[in-house]
Amino acid sequence: MSTELQKPRSFFNNPRNRALIYQILLLLGLGYFLFSIVSNVLANMEARGIKSGFGFLFTTAGFDILMSLIPYDATHSYGRTFLVGLLNTILVSVIGIVLATIIGFVLGIAYFSKNWLVRKFSIIYVEIFRNIPLLLQVFFWYFAVLAALPAARESISIGEAVFLNVRGLFIPALVGEAGANVIYLAAIVAVVIVIYLTKQSKKKQDETGAQFPIGRVALLILLGLPIIATLTMGTPFHFDYPILGRFSLSGGTTIIPELMALSVALSVYCGAFIAEAVRAGIQAVPHGQTEAARSIGLKERKIMTLIIVPQAMRVIAPLLNSEYQSLVKNSTLATAIGYPDLFTVFVGTSLNQTGQAIEIVFMTMAVYFVINMTISFLMNLFNAKVALSERK
Amino acid sequence: MKEFKPLPALPAPKDTVGMGVWVKQNLFPNLVNSMMTVLIAGFLISVVPGVIDWAIISADWSGTSQLDCKKDGACWVFVSAWMQQFIYGSYPDEQLWRINLALVVLVLVIAAPNVLQKELRNKLGVPMFLLYPFVCAAFLDGRMFSLEYVSTDYWGGFSLNVFLAAASIIIAFPLSFLWALGRRSDMPFVRSVCLILIEFFRGVPVLALFFMGSVMLPLFFPTGTSVDKLLRVWIVLILFMSGYMAEVFRGGFQAIPQGQYEAADSLGLSYWQKTLLIIFPQVIKVSMPNILATFVMLFKNTTFLLIIGIFEMLSTTQTALSNSNWLGGHATEGYLFVALVFWCCCFSMSMISNSIERKLDTGHKN
Amino acid sequence: MSSEQISPTSEPKENVIEISGLNKWYGSFHVLKDINLSVKKGERIVVCGPSGSGKSTMIRCINRLEEFQRGSLIVNGVEMIEDVKNIEAIRREVGMVFQHFNLFPHLTILENLTLGPIWVQKKPKQEAEQMAMKYLERVKIPDQALKFPGQLSGGQQQRVAIARSLCMSPQIMLFDEPTSALDPEMIKEVLDVMVELADDGMTMICVTHEMGFAKKVADRVIFMDAGEIVEENEPNEFFNNPQMDRTQLFLSQILEH
Repeated sequence: MSTELQKPRSFFNNPRNRALIYQILLLLGLGYFLFSIVSNVLANMEARGIKSGFGFLFTTAGFDILMSLIPYDATHSYGRTFLVGLLNTILVSVIGIVLATIIGFVLGIAYFSKNWLVRKFSIIYVEIFRNIPLLLQVFFWYFAVLAALPAARESISIGEAVFLNVRGLFIPALVGEAGANVIYLAAIVAVVIVIYLTKQSKKKQDETGAQFPIGRVALLILLGLPIIATLTMGTPFHFDYPILGRFSLSGGTTIIPELMALSVALSVYCGAFIAEAVRAGIQAVPHGQTEAARSIGLKERKIMTLIIVPQAMRVIAPLLNSEYQSLVKNSTLATAIGYPDLFTVFVGTSLNQTGQAIEIVFMTMAVYFVINMTISFLMNLFNAKVALSERK
Repeated sequence: MKEFKPLPALPAPKDTVGMGVWVKQNLFPNLVNSMMTVLIAGFLISVVPGVIDWAIISADWSGTSQLDCKKDGACWVFVSAWMQQFIYGSYPDEQLWRINLALVVLVLVIAAPNVLQKELRNKLGVPMFLLYPFVCAAFLDGRMFSLEYVSTDYWGGFSLNVFLAAASIIIAFPLSFLWALGRRSDMPFVRSVCLILIEFFRGVPVLALFFMGSVMLPLFFPTGTSVDKLLRVWIVLILFMSGYMAEVFRGGFQAIPQGQYEAADSLGLSYWQKTLLIIFPQVIKVSMPNILATFVMLFKNTTFLLIIGIFEMLSTTQTALSNSNWLGGHATEGYLFVALVFWCCCFSMSMISNSIERKLDTGHKN
Repeated sequence: MSSEQISPTSEPKENVIEISGLNKWYGSFHVLKDINLSVKKGERIVVCGPSGSGKSTMIRCINRLEEFQRGSLIVNGVEMIEDVKNIEAIRREVGMVFQHFNLFPHLTILENLTLGPIWVQKKPKQEAEQMAMKYLERVKIPDQALKFPGQLSGGQQQRVAIARSLCMSPQIMLFDEPTSALDPEMIKEVLDVMVELADDGMTMICVTHEMGFAKKVADRVIFMDAGEIVEENEPNEFFNNPQMDRTQLFLSQILEH
C-alpha cells in the first residue's frame, strides 16, 4: 500500500483548521470592535452626564400626548408613555393593514376584469402610488388635503352625527348601557353556531353529496343574532353625539387628522404593493388549470375558490407577510406629522427629555422586532392553512 | 389525385370586429360591468377637466415672485422661482458646475460596466464605479481638489437624493454580496454573524436607523470626535441597503442550479475563483430586477432624511413653502412637483427593470 | 398485440356531434374556415394536420374552451349558444385530455379525480372515491392515489388525466395531442389506455400525430390544413389512397422516418 495518504498535511491547508482560524479571527475582531464601542459609549455618557439604566421608566414624564387609547396625562410615567405610544402604533398598523389588504385585493383582482376601464384604472393606480415616496404621500394628505378642510364652525357634516373639519373627524361614540353584555354574548354565540354548522355541512356533503349554502346562512346568523339581541333588550346603548360648541366640538369620538392622514397614506401606498402581489399570484397559476377545471364542468366561482385561489396564495402569502411588516415599519413616519406613535412619543420626546438614547432605542427596536415576528408567525399559520402546498 | 383548392380567407363578420364591438365587449359586457364603466367614466368626467384647468389652463407659468400668482389655478411660478434650491440645495451659485459635473460622471460610471468590453470593464469600469462615491464626495467638498470648500450643511435638493442613493448602493453592492456569501458559509460563526446583521438591518424601521445614526453613533466614537452628519447618514444608508440586497442575493444564489457549483468545484477552482468567476456574474444577472426594485425603494427612502434635518428635496420644498415671501397655500404645487420628479425617476427605473426581467424570462406565458 | 382494425360498432347511429358551417376568427385572422363535421355515437375520429392548421382550435370549440363567430354546433342534441347553463350542460357530457395534463398540483390524485363528481355531480364522498379508485385501476395506477401530481411521471400523469375525465361519465372524449409532451417510452402506456377506451365503445375525437394509433382505432381520419378540413376518409383509404395532393404531401412528410 502507498504511504501517500499518511503524509502529514500542512496545518493550514486542512479546511477544518482554516475554518476554525477564520472564525477565531472574526471573533477576536468583533470582540475588539464591540469592546471599543462599549468603552466609548460609557465614556461619552459620563462626559455628558447621562444616567443609565431603566429607572427613568418610573419617573414622571411631564408632557401631554395628543391622543391616547388609555387614560394618560402629564403626571404619568415614561413607562406609561411607552404604552400609549405602543397602542397608537398598533392602532394605525391594524387600520393600515386592513385597509391596504382590501384595496390591494380589489385592485389586484380588478386587473383581470373584463372591463377595460377597470383594468386600466387598476394599472394606473398601482403605477402612480408605488412610485411616489411614502413621506410625500403622507405630507400630501396631511398638509394639502386635510389642512384644506374648513374650521370647526363650518364643518362638513352628515346630519347632526358626523362632523369633518380641520381638527379631525368627529363621530358619535357608542356607549354601552346595562344590557349591552347580552349583545356581546349573542355575537359570541353566533360565532360558535356558525363554526358548528360549517363542520356539519361539510360532513353532510361528504355523506350525501348535497351542498349547503353555508356562506349565506353564516352571514345571516352572524348579523341576525346580535340584531335580535339588541332589539329584545330594548337597544341598550346610546350614542354620545359630538356637539358643536363655540370653537370646537365636544363629546363623541375624535379621530385626529394625524391618524387619518397616516392611515390613508399607508393604506393607499401599501395597497398598491399588495395589488401587485395579488396580480403576480393569480398570474402564476397556469391558464391550463382554469381550462381543465372548466372542462370538468366546474362553475366559475368554484374554479376560483377550489383551484385558483389556493395556488395563487402560495405566491401571495409570503409577499403579504413582507408588505405587512413593511407597513408597520413605515408607520414610524408618524414623527413627520406629529401622530403620537411609539417612535414619536418614546424615541422622540422621551429621549429628548431624558437623554437615555441606548435604553430607549433598544426598547423601541425590540418592540418592532416582536411585532414583526408576530406578523410573520401569524402569516405562516395562515399560509399553512389556506395555501395547500404541493409536495415535490 | 385531385388538386386541393384552399378556401379563401374571409374577413371577420362585421358584427364581431370593429370599434363598436370592442366597446361592447370591453366596456359593457354585462350589467355589473356597465355600471362600473358608468361610475368610473362619471368620476373621470367630473374630476379631470377641473384638474387640467387648475394645472394648465388657469395656471401662472411665468414670473419671479408671489405677485405674479394672479390667476386662479396653480402657480408654477413658485416652482420655477425655487428651482435652483429644489435641485441644488444651498450650494453656492458659482460652484454649481461641480454638481453638474458629478452628475454627468455618475451617468458615465453607471453606463461604463454595461458598455465596455470585458477587459476594460474589469480593469477600468469596476474600479471607477467603486471609487466614484469617494471621489464625488471629496469633489463636492472641495478641499482635496483645492477648490472652494463647501460644507455639507449647504448640500441639498434633488441632487443630494441622487448622490446619497447612488453612493449608498455602490458601496452596499460588494458589502451585501459578502454578507450573502457569509450567510451561506459552512462556518457556523460566520453564518450566524451575517444572519444577525442582515435580519437586524432589514427588520428595523429605517427611521430608527437614521435616529441611531444621528443620536447614537456619536456616542460610539471616542469622546470629542465629531463625525459629519451626512457621513453618518451615508454609513446608515449603506448598512440598511446591504441588509436588503443581501436577501436579494440570497434569492439569486438559490436560483442558480446546483450543477453550476458542482461543475466549478470539479474543475478545481478555489472558493474565491468559483465565486467571482462563475457564481457572481450569474447571480447579478438573475437578481438584476430585484436589485433595481431595492434601489428604487432606497431612493424613495432618501426623502425620510427630512426628519433628521438633511436638506434633501422634500425638506427644501417645505422650507420654500414656509418662506415669508411665498405664503399662501402653494403646498399642492410644491408637493406635486416633487411627486412628479420622483415619479418619473422611479417609474423609468421600474420600466427598465421590467424589460430586463422580460429578457431573462424564458418561462411559459399564461 | 395484433394491428388489425378494431371493428366499428354496429348499432343504429345517431349524431352526437354536429358541426355545420363553423367559422372562427381571432380578431381579423380567419382561423377556422367553414368546418362541417358529423360524429356518430361510438365513432372514433382522428384529426391530423400540420401545426397551425386549427385542429386543436376546432376540438376546443366543442367544449366551449374557444368561441366561434359563425356556424352551429350541436352536442348531444343541445345547441351551443351564449348561455352559461347551456355551456355547463354540454361540458358535463364532454371530457377533455390536454397535452400538458393540467392536473391540479395542490390536490392528491384521488382528490383530482373526485373534485368533479363531488362539486358538479354532487355525489357523496365515498361514492366518488369508489368510482375514482375503479378508474385508477382501469388506467393501471391504483397505488398512486394518495400521491401528488408532481411525484408522478409524465405517462402516469396523463393516465390520471384520462381517469379524471372518465370520472364524470362523459359521452364524448376529446384528446388534444395527448402524447405530444411525453417521453417516447411513456407514449405506449397512454395509447394503450386510449385503445381500451375505444374498445369499450367511447365516442372519441383525437388530435394526434400517432398514425399507428389512427390505423388501429379510427373509424375516420380527418386531415386539416390552414383552418379547413381538406380530406376525411376511413383509415385504409386515407393512408393508402389519399384523394388530395395536399394530403399526400403531409403523409409523405410524417410517415417517412
